[in-house]
Amino acid sequence: MDANPPKSSSLQSPPPPDALACAAAAGVSRREWLARSTALAAGAWAGLTAAATAASSVDARLVMVILRGGLDGLAAVPVPGDPTFSVARGALADYGAPMLPLSGPYALHPALGQVHALYQAGELAIVHATGLPYRERSHFEAQQLLESGGMRPHELGSGWLARAIGGSRGTAMALQSAVPLLLRGPAEVDTWAPSVLPDPSQDLLGRLEMMYAADPALRAALDRARALRAAGVPPPMGMASSPMLAMAAPAAASTPSPAQRPGLLTVLAGHAVEFLSRPGGTRVALLEMGGWDTHANQTAPQGALAGNLRALDGALGTLHAGLAAKGLWQRTVVVVVTEFGRQVAINGTQGTDHGTGGMAMLAGGAVRGGQVLADWPGLSPKDRFEGRDLRITTDLRSVFRTVLHRHLEVPMARIDADVLPGSGPLPLLPLLRG
Amino acid sequence: MSATTQAAHAAHRFGLGEPDLSTIGTDPQAWLLSQIGPADPQAGPGGARLHGTEDALKIHQDARRLASPEGRDALRELIQADLRARLATAATTRRPFAERLALFWANHFTVSLLKGTVRGLVGTFEREAIRPHIAGRFAELLSAAVRHPAMLRYLDNQRSAGPNSRIVERLQRRSARAPDAGAPRLTGLNENLARELLELHTLGAAHAAGAYGPWGGYNQADVTRLAAVLTGWRDTFDADWHEPGEKWVLGRRYAEGPQALDAIVSDLARHPSTARHIATKLAQHFCADRPDPELVNRLATRFTETDGDLTAVYRVLVTAPQAWQTPETKLKTPEEFVVSSARLLRLGDRLLGRGPDAGLAAMGQRLHATPSPAGWPDRAEEWLGPEAVWQRIEWAARLSDRVGSGVDARRLAASALGPLLRDETRRQIDRAADAPQALALLLMSPEFQRR
Repeated sequence: MDANPPKSSSLQSPPPPDALACAAAAGVSRREWLARSTALAAGAWAGLTAAATAASSVDARLVMVILRGGLDGLAAVPVPGDPTFSVARGALADYGAPMLPLSGPYALHPALGQVHALYQAGELAIVHATGLPYRERSHFEAQQLLESGGMRPHELGSGWLARAIGGSRGTAMALQSAVPLLLRGPAEVDTWAPSVLPDPSQDLLGRLEMMYAADPALRAALDRARALRAAGVPPPMGMASSPMLAMAAPAAASTPSPAQRPGLLTVLAGHAVEFLSRPGGTRVALLEMGGWDTHANQTAPQGALAGNLRALDGALGTLHAGLAAKGLWQRTVVVVVTEFGRQVAINGTQGTDHGTGGMAMLAGGAVRGGQVLADWPGLSPKDRFEGRDLRITTDLRSVFRTVLHRHLEVPMARIDADVLPGSGPLPLLPLLRG
Repeated sequence: MSATTQAAHAAHRFGLGEPDLSTIGTDPQAWLLSQIGPADPQAGPGGARLHGTEDALKIHQDARRLASPEGRDALRELIQADLRARLATAATTRRPFAERLALFWANHFTVSLLKGTVRGLVGTFEREAIRPHIAGRFAELLSAAVRHPAMLRYLDNQRSAGPNSRIVERLQRRSARAPDAGAPRLTGLNENLARELLELHTLGAAHAAGAYGPWGGYNQADVTRLAAVLTGWRDTFDADWHEPGEKWVLGRRYAEGPQALDAIVSDLARHPSTARHIATKLAQHFCADRPDPELVNRLATRFTETDGDLTAVYRVLVTAPQAWQTPETKLKTPEEFVVSSARLLRLGDRLLGRGPDAGLAAMGQRLHATPSPAGWPDRAEEWLGPEAVWQRIEWAARLSDRVGSGVDARRLAASALGPLLRDETRRQIDRAADAPQALALLLMSPEFQRR
């Protein structure tokens, strides 16, 4: 699929065969499915099972990138081909540099050079006018929903990706200290962050393990941290001597200025590559970045939003270069999501207040890229949600369902019953190859 | 329950740990109740006076406007002095329950230097807007927090103008006269403070309430109109920025002018959703991640019947049977862990020997730089990632190597943990290879990590 003119209906493609297979299974009662999915929980993800048995590196990889604070989807992926765009956006439509053209009416923020190169290579797709089944504009409720995967905030207390992975140990890793909600639940999840302190002695660790017999949560955390380090941690501070740094340098971009220096997200993306390329190791990695709540001064070319987009661009470039060098890019999907979009119009302080519809990106060799998938709702006030926000015409859970089923091979019945309950009627999207 | 088990709970669950439980005396509830009141004043090294809001604003502005190395150094020193004062006060106070309440409210009303305009103001915010007000009426605390320059800047009210205010009209006239200069940069409202004032500070987000609601009860129109009420509140009230006319929020009318802030703060503080929201957060912070709903009911009822008298609410909390249940299920935050370690070892200022934050940033809690206006997480599972636990072990091992050779960890474990000390922990400490290792085991024991 290529250009999507405004008011296109690219979501009307027929559901893929897998979705129909699920419907054929409708004769099985819900209770039976639940029982089955419980039995399958340890290895229900077929790609993972293959990894565990063959210890090969040819199975699927998933990288989730959560942008916290509400990325303005219309700033990252403007729609200059929509005749109402410049009026609706006002000063926000002025980027101070040429936008990078995409197919149809869409374009990219000038800071997203590597994203643009991936799009042109057919390895990055954008879903626009997308969002969660939630319209109330609270960061914290929307993030809870983004990660829990329910219909309403707080109705589910674990993460949808953790439920998809099931009890498999060592499959998922968050590149930070804490386990985010997305990965909390039945899965035993690793976390990892660069440290400047020397490792504690093995002797102390052994004694702590004995002491933690009385506290299973502390014991589990310590066991996982030890196992990670026993497998050899990628060099935290030695980036300069790592071939990763050379790969992280944007090949397509012009000479990097200080503002384009790879930030922390890029460093963590480099570590994610290392973990994802270990045989039998991490298959799902999570990166997150805050600072997207641009209530003020969003338009400044050297402001926070442009800087954040450059950081995101650098991290995606690092994931691409690193995973391609390891021969894994073709099996990879990177999903970039945020909790909500922002209001269409500029607010009183050269920024945007909280909104609803926004955009998501998928990158990777497994992605059917070079397309912007959207049932474009238009930007004039009457087309906006409550006269204010980009209207959501694609449920973000359709994206998740597609990646879960087509990429991670999670059975549809489990997705409907356990992973994204209530999302059953939503169609899969033509976002992946194969 | 024996008095000493109660003493251990008082010390760890409501306080910041004590090296010797006998200091708590025979009536741990009375020990806690006697501490309720404004938090201890913070002081710099040797009792030096710390800067107030006006000093901090001046240093902040000099650093940004002059852009000189001296200005930047002055601002950095101020920020570090605030960090030191926060940790040193908590590490040495004789009223650790009051300190815990101050930390709770500072987190409830988060401001963060991750916003550039707030740099240097977080310490004065805590000293002037939070610490003096933690045991008075909630409305007074709320009012002080919302109108402090740090909060007004952090949540963008500094830059929010009424669409029909004098400043916006002036800018539009100027722009019409000189079209080449471009459109005005300031045209109207910024909703940030209004939304978080409702969602985080008072009524709560309806869906988040779970078994503890109802919370919430506002819509987008209330947010926008509240933003209009709040216009003009910059470092102080500036009438040129204020939206003229009356406004309706949550079905009530508010007149034009600065006095509307007092009126709306008072109404929000009395709202039943606020009582339930605050009651839930207190119970979750001090008792359990999923507290008994009956306890939340009692706290909310007391909040409402006393018109938000926080001292009365704390008294219910401290005397509730649910507050004294075993086992300890909450996990100390990294800050609580660091401070209770310092108290255990009577480190005082030596805690800060290696930098103003005592190594907290390496444990995922960069103080005064909270990543979100919702504050630091308060539930055990959010601090229990493998990496987070590993970082605590690294920190404990390093501190123990530094100070542990002269410490009798066996004696300290018994005096600080009392009946909470498990046989297995005692056995491991007894058998440690050396004194520093014994101390690291004590610091990382489940009994010392949980509260």
